Amino acid sequence: MSTYSDDYTTAELVCVSVAREIEDGDLMILGSFTPLAFVSYVLAKVTHAPNIMYQAYSSVDARPFRITFGSYEAAATAGGVARWNMTECINSLYLGTGVDVEPISSIQVDQYANINLSVVGDYDKPLLRGPGGAGAPEVVKMHRKMLGYFPNHNKRTLVPKVDFITGTRWKISNEERIKAGLRPGPVKLITNLCILSKEEEARPFRIVSVHPGVSAHDVVNNTGFELQVPKDVPETEKPTKEQIRVLREEVDPYGMVGFDFMPGKERVAYLKQILAKEAQALGY
Amino acid sequence: MSRRDKVLNQNKVAKLSDIGELIKDGDRVAIGGAWLSSHPMAIVRQMIRSGLKDIYAMTILGSIDIDVLVGAGSLSSVMFSFISMEALGLPPCFRRAVEKEGFRYDETTGLAIILGFEAAGRGLPFIPYRGPFGSDCVKQRPEFYKTVTCPFTGEELVAVPALKPDVAIIHAERADPAGNIQIEGTGGSDLELAKAADRVIVSVEEVVPTEVLRQNPYKTKIPRFYVDMVIEQPFGAHPTSSLPSYVADPWHMMDYMEMAATAEGFGSYLQEYVMKPEEEYLETVGGLRQMTLLKKLAREVKLL
Repeated sequence: MSTYSDDYTTAELVCVSVAREIEDGDLMILGSFTPLAFVSYVLAKVTHAPNIMYQAYSSVDARPFRITFGSYEAAATAGGVARWNMTECINSLYLGTGVDVEPISSIQVDQYANINLSVVGDYDKPLLRGPGGAGAPEVVKMHRKMLGYFPNHNKRTLVPKVDFITGTRWKISNEERIKAGLRPGPVKLITNLCILSKEEEARPFRIVSVHPGVSAHDVVNNTGFELQVPKDVPETEKPTKEQIRVLREEVDPYGMVGFDFMPGKERVAYLKQILAKEAQALGY
Repeated sequence: MSRRDKVLNQNKVAKLSDIGELIKDGDRVAIGGAWLSSHPMAIVRQMIRSGLKDIYAMTILGSIDIDVLVGAGSLSSVMFSFISMEALGLPPCFRRAVEKEGFRYDETTGLAIILGFEAAGRGLPFIPYRGPFGSDCVKQRPEFYKTVTCPFTGEELVAVPALKPDVAIIHAERADPAGNIQIEGTGGSDLELAKAADRVIVSVEEVVPTEVLRQNPYKTKIPRFYVDMVIEQPFGAHPTSSLPSYVADPWHMMDYMEMAATAEGFGSYLQEYVMKPEEEYLETVGGLRQMTLLKKLAREVKLL
């Protein structure tokens, strides 16, 4: 009997793929609350990477926790061994030791591994004002791995050149990174269609694998920049039955992982439903 | 107050309505907390209520704190690295102001803001670091990001200037009357804000005798020589969180998102929640029943 599952959603596949990029021993930070990223960290920690160490809010070496909407911050903070404020965290980890990986998402990403969290359109008169980068400029440049995830792989998101470079990988090949005093590491984008990787400044992103049911053709047609397409494109490794069980029963019983993949209008109704269940569990 | 006066004054307890003594129109006000956590929301509401104008807000990771101030027209501009309602979406008033009304701002990378506060707190004119090379944020703010060469290695580094707010406003768990502040939750870089600012106002869940602080001295993060005013304001961070006491209120945040989606709706929000005495605020957002739920959510978490 196969250990792989055939019963999974695209969100779960992306979540598991992100989790697989987290190696045991990685030093991580849980930044802004995006459900998929949080679920993937915890999934990694309770499955293949039990020794990873993450800083969540003010909590150092937080324990894995159930992801909910009403209490994620309290849960992330509750199990820590120490309290560090944001300055201690950035001085020690971002600027000092170095962080291994912190998955990010953005409004746009381009062929040079630049990300845009700032504006769509003209900077002074934008069509859309985004949230801003927070720590993302340092995350994508200084962390050992750059790991982006994108629930909507299309030409508006994967663009030839971002409208505004909020952050950038800056140096990509191992050689260039070492020369610039940065730690070498992979650049990967995980989308709802495929996994992409970039190894050198001058070479385009390469299709590492396509998700089951997706063709390389679909990926190329939905990408706004040139891709390197290998002759035989492998299929993305499916989630295992155990990963899906742990996700659904332990880490994410409310299905928060699906949130990023929903249209904006459905999200509020979905969150309200989750909150109602959480309140009910507390006797409300 | 001078540093000496801050040390000499052993009773800094004041009322919310007293903040006008320390915050003036046109001030640079640094706002504590981060994401949807530990923002000094009662002080923010009081700033709006008292009609403060032309405030230059400084935030590292802002959310509803900045959004209501923008919506209420209290700000001349804002320095930020991030303003977001997180999973609930983008901040509606800030978006509307930028996209439709030409509201100007100083977008800055997050580490640069923290380091700017640190520089001020250490009495330095600037701090160098391996900065955000390649980011357009650098191009947008040439007056803020400069390049310096390391005198020892010749490495090229980014320099950011000391950031000196006139006032820092912070919410924390506990203080004594002298202004020693215990932070237990997600305090962001509140300590650096306090070090950098000329005047510091802290709202707390509870004011306790100094003896209580001495029982857990490692929780005290801001000593009294930085602090000018202490305001006892239970749920003073609502609708953001103040851990370990209570979580952010997602129900209220959702109501906010719905109301603030239009300028008219935001006007109603102001009338309903802000432009009345703070004592009525907690009743309006759900009273004891809702506050008890937020406290329960903070306690009953599931670790794996």
